[in-house]
Amino acid sequence: MTQNVKKKVKELLESGKIKGFLGLCQKNGHIGPHLFCDPDDLESMVLGDEERPGDSRYPLNKLLIHIARSYPDETFGVLVRGCDERGLKTLYTWNQLNPDKVIPVGVACPQELADACECLRPYPEEFVEGERAEERSSASVTKISGLDVKDRFTSWMKEFARCIKCYGCRDICPMCFCNECSLEAEELIHTGELPPEIPIFHLVRAVHMAGRCIDCGLCNEVCPADIPLRTLYKKVADIIDEEFNYRPGYSEGKSPLNILGSAAEE
Amino acid sequence: MDYRTVPTTCTYCGCGCNFFLEVLDGRIIGTIPSKSGPANQGKLCIKGWHVHQFVQSPERLTRPLLRKNGNLSEVSWDEALDYTASRLKEITSAHGSDSAGFFASAKLTNEENYLIQKFARAAVGTNNVDHCARL
Amino acid sequence: MTNSIAEVEDAECIFVIGSNTTSSHPLVATRIFRAKEKGAKLIVADPREVHIAKLADLHVQHNLGTDVALLNGIMHVILERNWHDRSFIEERTEGFDDFKRVIDRYPPDKVAEITGVSPEDILRIAEYYASAGTASILYCMGITQHTTGVDNVKSLANLAMLTGNVGKESTGVNPLRGQNNVQGACDMGGLPNVYPGYQPVNMLDSQKKFESAWNATLSDRVGLTIPDMLSGLMDGSLKALYVIGENPLMSDPDSHHVEKALKGAELLVVQDIFMTPTAELAHVVLPGASFAEKDGTFTNTERRVLRVRKAIEPVGESRTDWEIIQDISNRLGYAMDYDGPEEIMKEIAAVTPSYGGISYDRLEGPGLQWPCPDPEHPGTKFLHKDGFARGKGLFHAIEYQEPAEVVDEEYPLWMTTGRVHVHYHTGTMTRNSPSLHAEMPEGYLEMNHRDAARLGICQGDLVSVTSRRGTINVKTQITERVREGVVFMPFHFVESSANVLTNPAYDPVVKIPEYKVCAVRVEKAA
Repeated sequence: MTQNVKKKVKELLESGKIKGFLGLCQKNGHIGPHLFCDPDDLESMVLGDEERPGDSRYPLNKLLIHIARSYPDETFGVLVRGCDERGLKTLYTWNQLNPDKVIPVGVACPQELADACECLRPYPEEFVEGERAEERSSASVTKISGLDVKDRFTSWMKEFARCIKCYGCRDICPMCFCNECSLEAEELIHTGELPPEIPIFHLVRAVHMAGRCIDCGLCNEVCPADIPLRTLYKKVADIIDEEFNYRPGYSEGKSPLNILGSAAEE
Repeated sequence: MDYRTVPTTCTYCGCGCNFFLEVLDGRIIGTIPSKSGPANQGKLCIKGWHVHQFVQSPERLTRPLLRKNGNLSEVSWDEALDYTASRLKEITSAHGSDSAGFFASAKLTNEENYLIQKFARAAVGTNNVDHCARL
Repeated sequence: MTNSIAEVEDAECIFVIGSNTTSSHPLVATRIFRAKEKGAKLIVADPREVHIAKLADLHVQHNLGTDVALLNGIMHVILERNWHDRSFIEERTEGFDDFKRVIDRYPPDKVAEITGVSPEDILRIAEYYASAGTASILYCMGITQHTTGVDNVKSLANLAMLTGNVGKESTGVNPLRGQNNVQGACDMGGLPNVYPGYQPVNMLDSQKKFESAWNATLSDRVGLTIPDMLSGLMDGSLKALYVIGENPLMSDPDSHHVEKALKGAELLVVQDIFMTPTAELAHVVLPGASFAEKDGTFTNTERRVLRVRKAIEPVGESRTDWEIIQDISNRLGYAMDYDGPEEIMKEIAAVTPSYGGISYDRLEGPGLQWPCPDPEHPGTKFLHKDGFARGKGLFHAIEYQEPAEVVDEEYPLWMTTGRVHVHYHTGTMTRNSPSLHAEMPEGYLEMNHRDAARLGICQGDLVSVTSRRGTINVKTQITERVREGVVFMPFHFVESSANVLTNPAYDPVVKIPEYKVCAVRVEKAA
């Protein structure tokens, strides 16, 4: 499954077009992120399928920001699925990555993963591996939207009550790059208790995901309380789409909220 | 440029969560939970997510200290180790092996705990070795 | 743990007692959440309404130090209703009759009086636990840190045996170990009575074995525990103390006493990564390396041996702890010449039967759970499958005993201590972590609003808390989390160190201090 990716990365490295390729590898019995710099050292490269397709994905875009901040003049390759590509596009609009310095190498997700993710576009624009799977709409959102308001609220409160305030949803998120985080603002959310103030903690984060969330689902996977955060943010994305006709990573240009933000600054 | 992700095990509680320490040019810049960790399956608590912060705290001890005229002063490793060994030798020669005691540690690795108890038992000759199992 | 972390999520009933799981073992809490999602009953017994208690089907707040009475009451009901597992008791256990005679003396009415838990709730716990196909007990320091710590643990073992909830998947009596490698430190013989692998120092066979392995003459005298070492420093029988990676001045009960003891040492060596309050008193301070700066292994609470890998060089001139020990040993004339942790592990495997099959090449990925006696052995997911180590499981007949210190007119409030979700032990690491410090920069005293009203104390007021050992000042947090008459303090904060107050009374068998119960008085600070 990795042959075409390896071939492409080897070419990019050998031609000197990229300084390194940020992908995944199997090392010490763990699948994890890895920066490949040597064209002859791609043996351990994997795509992140341990037991099920895509069960070992990592926020490669976020890690790329870390590297690019220290090496802004270098060009890097990065492994992208559909969601990661949406992430890259959105990060470009927020000036977190320079599109001239990033070369994405795409893989399309298999149907099983597309189904599990309820992904609207389970493939990047260009890919060297895999086949286009069918797109899926958000059954989980439809399901919870079917509840009446009171039951919906109760259901979310029950989920939030388990939160152990690890901030993992934020820390794993490729779209969370702010220097100061509202989740840590004492005047918004009282600190020092478990669960954190609910639902405000989760709603503050949900609001900040508006116009940003690219629906990669890593927040959901990282949550020690198994809170269905992806469903929540999918709903937020739907609302933004309805109101502004904008969906991050799918639509071209800047988020309406990011334009609002800069207008407010002026 | 040297960017590495190193899989390891958390130093806080007994869950034994696995994560990658993200290292750029010799500095740890982040912690990434490992999806392959049997206990944590790609998840972490708040302490785990920030475990890299204390490692590079400016408050870390970086040089051996020896008490001179009542104050702890920086000394070379040789001086600190010579002093420790010679004082241990003096005290146990004068008062017997059981006049020394050793705290092993639930924060050390297995290998280091093995070594400290072996040192106490075989080198010093006492079973006075314990750690915070009870705390 | 007798069983594994992952098994918890398939238990039909989980009984959490004395564990603030979401704060102290968050990734075990994940499995509890999942079990509950699958329909498991969750029972929590804790004097405080900790986070996991809010998610329980039943939470009981028993009086501090009354665990034995509560458990005996539960077992009384199980026996009375014939909910016990007769065939398991007959085939796998002994001592049942003596045990039953004691349990007969704990009817729910009497237990309710001692514990403050209603007979109805005792019945419900008994029913949930005994009727489940698989029931798992999770406990932590709320069970062990008592003068009756051993009795408490044995009572939990009684409960599991009575219902046949041991030796199979998703059952067992599962201690959640508080420190990352407390299991390993015990396994490696970091205890005064045993060599690695729990081989007794006072048994000739094991002494001979280690004398030949280590090429040294060894003592057959059982050594001193930490409290006895501190007493030894006080009475002058112990002269030198070498402390690695511990901070007894904050972590041990009755800090004033500990300080006096440490100051009495002719030689105090402290090897640590931070300048702890204990290190401030040392003659020599040796800078060790953190976990991120060395290779090695930790053994987690489910007996899983996991690799630790070096990510960066030790900071400054600090050095890995094994190298420091090796250098001192060589200076003392006992030669050590290891080229690294992997070589040390080879020696461990050679002398420690339960680690016999463990080597670095087998520890990639998920590691191995001991017992793992040989290189082909796959490791052990849960213990006691085909029988207990001693043959048959022994029921212990255990009577309830009061805590060592009880409230009186002068010290009218019960105090208990514990951890919070953002800090760890004496705070050495977490308080040097800016993100964690920001989340909770200072300590506090949890107090019920009725007590606060009676004492004229408002939220955030500075109060002085006094026990027979000392006084500290701390801010109050007024809450429903504790009942009237009970206060709680985390012990992570040196400025308001809870262990100035705690009682250095110990379990007679294992010498664990009674951190979880002492009597205090609270006054508004001047």
